[in-house]
Amino acid sequence: MLSEFSLIALFILIVMGFATTLVLIPQALKKIGIVPSKPSEVKYEPYECGLETIGETWVQFKIRYYFYALLLITLDITVIFLYPWAVELKNLGSSSLGVIFSFIGILAVGYIYAWRKGALEWK
Amino acid sequence: MEIRTDSTSLDIDRHEGNLIKELRSSSTKPVTEPSGWLSEDLKRNIFLTTVDNVLNWGRKSSLWTETAFTACCTFEFISLSSSRFDIARFGMEVLRSSPRHADLIITAGTLTWKMAPQIKRVYEQMAEPKWVIAMGACGITGGIFADSYSVVPGYNRILPIDVYIPGCPPRPEALLAGIELLRKKVEKRSFLQG
Amino acid sequence: MPELITVGAAISPNLPWSDWQFGFWIHLLIFGIGIISLLLGSVIIFIWLERRLVGRFQRRLGPNRAGPLGLLQSVADVIKILTKEDIVPSRADKLIFWIAPIVAFTPVVLMLAVVPVADGALLADLNIGILFVIAISSITALGVFMAGWASYNKYSILSAMRTVAQLVSYEMPLILSMVGVVIIAGSLSLNDIVKTQTVPFIVLQPAGFFIFFIASLAEINRTPFDLLEADSELVAGYNIEYSGMKFATFYLTEYCEAIVLSTLAATIFLGGWQGPWLPPIVWLLLKIGIVFCFIVWIRSTLPRLRIDQVMGFAWKFLLPLAILNIFVTSIFVALWPETPAWLMGLTNLAILVAYILFWSKLFKPGGKAVAV
Ligand code: SF4
Repeated sequence: MLSEFSLIALFILIVMGFATTLVLIPQALKKIGIVPSKPSEVKYEPYECGLETIGETWVQFKIRYYFYALLLITLDITVIFLYPWAVELKNLGSSSLGVIFSFIGILAVGYIYAWRKGALEWK
Repeated sequence: MEIRTDSTSLDIDRHEGNLIKELRSSSTKPVTEPSGWLSEDLKRNIFLTTVDNVLNWGRKSSLWTETAFTACCTFEFISLSSSRFDIARFGMEVLRSSPRHADLIITAGTLTWKMAPQIKRVYEQMAEPKWVIAMGACGITGGIFADSYSVVPGYNRILPIDVYIPGCPPRPEALLAGIELLRKKVEKRSFLQG
Repeated sequence: MPELITVGAAISPNLPWSDWQFGFWIHLLIFGIGIISLLLGSVIIFIWLERRLVGRFQRRLGPNRAGPLGLLQSVADVIKILTKEDIVPSRADKLIFWIAPIVAFTPVVLMLAVVPVADGALLADLNIGILFVIAISSITALGVFMAGWASYNKYSILSAMRTVAQLVSYEMPLILSMVGVVIIAGSLSLNDIVKTQTVPFIVLQPAGFFIFFIASLAEINRTPFDLLEADSELVAGYNIEYSGMKFATFYLTEYCEAIVLSTLAATIFLGGWQGPWLPPIVWLLLKIGIVFCFIVWIRSTLPRLRIDQVMGFAWKFLLPLAILNIFVTSIFVALWPETPAWLMGLTNLAILVAYILFWSKLFKPGGKAVAV
């Protein structure tokens, strides 16, 4: 088991190394002049359809999917419990059905409550 | 880089007015064309190495256009990019809205002084290497609006133009011919030009 | 930890190098390089394929000048984009700006580590394969958000916000759609799932495939869910300020994601490498190609949805359907384990159709924003 994860860990390193070289190739090419570089002040300003930007960009503003994120966290974590059950369902047999259905039922109450409260609207 | 913080619309208007005035007074003469920028000895020594060939082939086969269209000529460009004339054959159907990804501005249409600072800024923010095609009579000289107080008499007042395509509007065939010319021009580049 | 480097401990005995001396490292090398190069190769082919196909769908020719049949079109794009100027905005958060493409790209490739190309031929046969895929796939959203945030650009932040909202919303149906398959297969390992598919699971689980496919379309931001690329509204998406190779990495990420999700769809629902006559890997590639062409077909057919519709669709349509699917499947498997495949498939299909019909009653055609 562990050696499988060591394979994954090494693969992560390989892929990250690959992605890093990919991003760094132009820097190397710049040294020999193949990648052009003509810095100017205007070029390094943010592009906003040809207009100058007004005011700070990193300000606090309303994240509209706040409720979605909350819902996701609750549902996502609970839903992960479904997977062990799903794997073992054949062995557990019908007795496990009632348990898991009441589990989903409890989730559903919360879901319907969120729906009624309008948390699922994008506004 | 300074962040502008003017908040009232009056401030913004005034700033814009100043920008336009500045640009107007500073661009009374056409910008020299790009090939003119080559230093003399580079011009005599242009050698097309294999690297150049590969680079230029790549660049000419994937000219991505910036969507910066200002007036009626645009419709001929739209026609060019749809089925009958199909600009996609040259790999040009990728229209990017951000100048960081684009290689080419096709200046389709009349340019007013009000719009000029924006277009200039878009051009300046494009990543090198970049090209400009002046499309239509308006793009070349201001066309039928040449005498107007509000129209830029030709894009070459503010941008260095690579290819001029006359017509009012130029037919898609003419535009295709212009693009062919530009592809020939790209082929002759040397990466030493930057 | 001597156990970690036990020769061939993790490697299926089907592979010839399983009992070689440095089997572990050879395995890593072969599959590591194999996966990356196969992925990049197929990205180049599939970009060309997509552009040609979209051309055909719109009665155009598509790219045909670069190389024979335009096959070298994506190569030309790569050359051009590689030698484009690299712009880092002066106000940007430099460090995050640089690592965002890497963060976005890495997890996409990682997902392929658990996909078998033949019996036992995969990088690591994790017994939690599907869970691994789910966990890894959500990291891409982080990279996207980092890119949007670090660019110091108002549009890119808005776009990144939207993207994350969309990815977050469609993750639920995506996770739930695979539970049905897990129930039937009784395993989370993708290798086992493929092996149990004597009948492709799309026959047994049409509703599951439906949800999986739509949710993965949204995860890869394809039409009709390509809101972040909505250039008429948000300039160019979260990668406005990126140019050159960093932009290309994002572009690559999007295509790799499309390919990886096609691979998952082919593996989980279409029987993976199984098939008569041809070698397994050819079957897998064929199925991936078919799913990908289907995605392109949808792209050139459907218009783009509005953001509130996209959100409502995920939370109000797909989520209940996914749970319904789990109910029905688990009842079948637990109570009547001997159910013939056709009955199970038909019931599933009937429920899907009934659900869609019921749902469409709630909408008024031509009405304004739908409130359900
Ligand atoms: S050249 Fe003619 S068609 Fe083109 S923008 Fe000017 S007036 Fe319009």
